[in-house]
Amino acid sequence: MDDSTKRILQRLIRRIPYQMLQKMLGKWAHLSNEDLHSLDFTQPKWVLTEHLLAFCEEKGLTVKHITELEMIYIIENPNQGMWHGFQLLDAEEEAPSIELTQFKEQFKANLTELIRHVSIKIKKHTDEAIWIRVAWGDNFTKPNHLKPTYVVHHLQTPYVFVTGLTSKYKPLLNQALVLATRYGSMKDAHLSGRNLIAIRDLLTRQYQQVFPTKHPKPLQEKNPVPRNPNIENEQAENTENRLQMACEAFGDGTLPQLQKAVYKLETKFRDNSNKTLTGREEPFRGVVEFASTNLLESLRHCVSSGMASTPVTPLLSSITQKGRNYFVITDKGV
Amino acid sequence: MFKIHFRFFSVMEERSSIVKTPLNNVLAQRRSNSYRRSMRSCVEATNLGYTSGHLTALRIPRSRRTPKSRDITKQVDPDQVALLVTKEWELSYVTPLYQFRHTQLKSYSKHLSAFIVSEKQQGLAIEVGQELGFKVNFSVVLGLAETDEDAETVFIQILSRQAFAAKDDAQKVVWSGWLTCVNGDLEYLRSLPSEFVSLPLLCTRGPESLTVLVKSWFEKTFDCCFGPLGINSANLQWLAALWIGCHPNINIQYLKLVWTLPTLPPMDVKYTIHPQDAWELWHSVRQDDTTDVSIEEVTRFIKGLQSHFFRHFRIELSAGSLMQVSTALGSSHHSGKIKIASPTYITTILQLLTECALLKMPI
Repeated sequence: MDDSTKRILQRLIRRIPYQMLQKMLGKWAHLSNEDLHSLDFTQPKWVLTEHLLAFCEEKGLTVKHITELEMIYIIENPNQGMWHGFQLLDAEEEAPSIELTQFKEQFKANLTELIRHVSIKIKKHTDEAIWIRVAWGDNFTKPNHLKPTYVVHHLQTPYVFVTGLTSKYKPLLNQALVLATRYGSMKDAHLSGRNLIAIRDLLTRQYQQVFPTKHPKPLQEKNPVPRNPNIENEQAENTENRLQMACEAFGDGTLPQLQKAVYKLETKFRDNSNKTLTGREEPFRGVVEFASTNLLESLRHCVSSGMASTPVTPLLSSITQKGRNYFVITDKGV
Repeated sequence: MFKIHFRFFSVMEERSSIVKTPLNNVLAQRRSNSYRRSMRSCVEATNLGYTSGHLTALRIPRSRRTPKSRDITKQVDPDQVALLVTKEWELSYVTPLYQFRHTQLKSYSKHLSAFIVSEKQQGLAIEVGQELGFKVNFSVVLGLAETDEDAETVFIQILSRQAFAAKDDAQKVVWSGWLTCVNGDLEYLRSLPSEFVSLPLLCTRGPESLTVLVKSWFEKTFDCCFGPLGINSANLQWLAALWIGCHPNINIQYLKLVWTLPTLPPMDVKYTIHPQDAWELWHSVRQDDTTDVSIEEVTRFIKGLQSHFFRHFRIELSAGSLMQVSTALGSSHHSGKIKIASPTYITTILQLLTECALLKMPI
């Protein structure tokens, strides 16, 4: 094993938290059961790393095998780094019937044609998602395994999620994906977040949606406070309305974990009390960023508690309705 | 709420400080019914703060002079200015120091370093690799004081030397702090007895353990009291107005305001405005560029931004609290952190902070 391979393995072991190490190694095909048992997981990490290096040398493992371990780890723990959503457009006739093997062949062929030195690994996960790991090189250098790009795609859906992609390689990846999936083009869905499942759920609308009804019934609380018949809540109807509108805009129950929403404002200044500036032709430029550990829940609470006025502005409800969290707002609309 | 320190009154006897301020009649006279009345109103009122004795009223100004840009390096040594700018400082207020002498700085340096070394060694076995020595440096920063009543700024640096370091190795600065008073309220400063020096604003930077030690040494040596100084929303708005007002002369590059809304979970709203547009809004609320800046103008400016925001998102930003204001010239945070990036308006900012410190002090 050469030095760079050793370094990749060392870095990877350092990255994987100690508690998960045994599980990850167990899933790795290249360590037999006896090997696994012979490793002492009570020793400090650096001792373990030395043993693993020794094993890998013995078995003549290469970078290819080590990257398999990395992929296992990332698939189990995808919430590292920023994931960006993309949408495939203009499906051709064959798009819905693409199968895994076809996709794999096509993707590999396309990408290697576009860039000579590239390392591709494709794996199908239990939940029907295809995971692709790409390490990029160029015409003269070997692929850089320390900065790989990961792509997740569900066949038969037009959505692709990517992390770790630099702008240099973006067009190449786009082209390979578009050709392999038999679509016309791929565009930025303007949705990004740290939690892969969250952005996937948001784009595919897999959260508890609430639809406007003609005869709204108040949403039942899970543990209603016992009601005293002598106490009448004056604001009850308003509160229910607000809660209903909040849930219609953002969903009910547990919401996908989104961290940020960014709005680039390029609208004219609007404030009736300021006559001087209101007539101004040029836009009042600014950027608004909403941030929270769970943004959708914060926004829902903002509406239901009255901090935001109802009806909910389409600027905010577009996060869920359109599945995106980056917007450029001009006077003509979103 | 205020934690009122009745040190001068009843607690004096119990406290063991190296220096005791005299319990003579000079002070007893000041402590009359008016003291209790003034203390109560200090807690209740938000616009007036009373200090000891002559019931000097520290009023929160409703207008401030338009800051003029000034090359501070004409008054203060540029090397010393460099020590103060581009770093983030944590703010505290400190009550007047009893028998603090600007001439005794060397002796203070020695005492403080001995104190720190002894405190750090208490109960610990000496380990190999532990910092062998702390060297403390007290110095004066001349030129920041604006009036005759302002005491000169004192700058403190704690340097450490690692074990086995060569004698000539440059020592590393591990902690720095400075005490200052810029344009402090004249009536208040004049009302202090002559043995006291008022440097109400303390700015610190470095490990919390050292900050605690420095403060406790000061408390023992000068019989003073420290407390955290936050920057409330009104003062953050003043700072925003100050920085936006600079824009024609210096490019502030952006005006960023951060509010925190009390949702579950809490949500931060960051509004970054293009400097030219922000300046035009500011200009439109100003009656006249040459007159003093009034609090109404500042409020109208912020309300204009909140209203433009509301038109888009229908969220009332005033339901939350303004936590942070920043531009390329500096940044300030509600929890009491300030960073002054450019020395041009340093005096105005320090004046505002000195005022906050004097108001927050319980005596």
